[in-house]
Amino acid sequence: MTEKRKMDRKVAIGIVALVAAVALLAVVFFLFRQKPVEGSKAITIEVVDDEQKNVTYDVKTDAEYLRQAMEEAEGLEFSGSESEYGMMVTTVNGVTADYNVNGAYWSFYVNGEYCNYGIETQPVLDGDAFRIVYTPAQ
Amino acid sequence: MRNRRQTLLGKLMPGDITLVGMMAAVIEVCKMALAFLPNIELTSFWLIMFTLFFGWKVFLVVPVFILVEGCIYGFGLWWVMYLYVWPLLVLIVWKFRKEESPWFWSVVSGIFGLCFGLLCSIPYALIGAADGLRQGLYAGFSWWVAGIPWDIGHCAGNFVLMLVLYKPVRSIMNRIK
Repeated sequence: MTEKRKMDRKVAIGIVALVAAVALLAVVFFLFRQKPVEGSKAITIEVVDDEQKNVTYDVKTDAEYLRQAMEEAEGLEFSGSESEYGMMVTTVNGVTADYNVNGAYWSFYVNGEYCNYGIETQPVLDGDAFRIVYTPAQ
Repeated sequence: MRNRRQTLLGKLMPGDITLVGMMAAVIEVCKMALAFLPNIELTSFWLIMFTLFFGWKVFLVVPVFILVEGCIYGFGLWWVMYLYVWPLLVLIVWKFRKEESPWFWSVVSGIFGLCFGLLCSIPYALIGAADGLRQGLYAGFSWWVAGIPWDIGHCAGNFVLMLVLYKPVRSIMNRIK
């Protein structure tokens, strides 16, 4: 009988220790697990409209190309026509610049330089400053 | 050394070799049957039961099982972990082999499941240590922490399976022993 009680006590201690170990591991997991990051690149996208008013968007993104980063920019709205070269942006934040209608267009700059690629293929690097400028007919 | 080997081989009868093969087969079949359930396995259960019932013979089962695993799934880094993880379980069970309580073995099996990830993180720590001790510890620690939910599941599975199966399997094994 005494042996049995000793055994029961040993088992009870073991179960309590096991539960405590599980709880400890759960705490370790929640303290040290890898937390998802917002986005590893910090960029800015500045929009200058037809009245020379500008709005700047700070974006944290993992996007490889500009289109995705623009889609992630909260408050930035844009649309255009899809072509084999990707989207030709015609409207930004409700302002339309359609070259076929009035000769105006949206110019894209990266770090002060004219973008050589469309928004589908324009690479996004950490620290890049993009400008989307309404350019009237020359 | 030679005498000890002769003694061990001298003890080994054809029936023992068959038994070792049967034990390895039971472990392997159960492992494959439960492969679709993440971290729910009967390998720990069988190694514990075989150690309790067949004693030293299980020391021949472990290398056979590890070798078969390597042949089936390839000799990757996980295989290196098997080289010490399963023998360690057998040694622990051997040490407490006089215990008969299903609760006791459920706790042992649960603790083993809980520590599985920690034990398996050792090779990652060693590989990381090539860039310095701190990097090694960080690599091992990160790997272990990422797998903690799986270890908790492993612990629960081992605990419940042992608790449910210990008595019926034990009574059957008592009959065939």
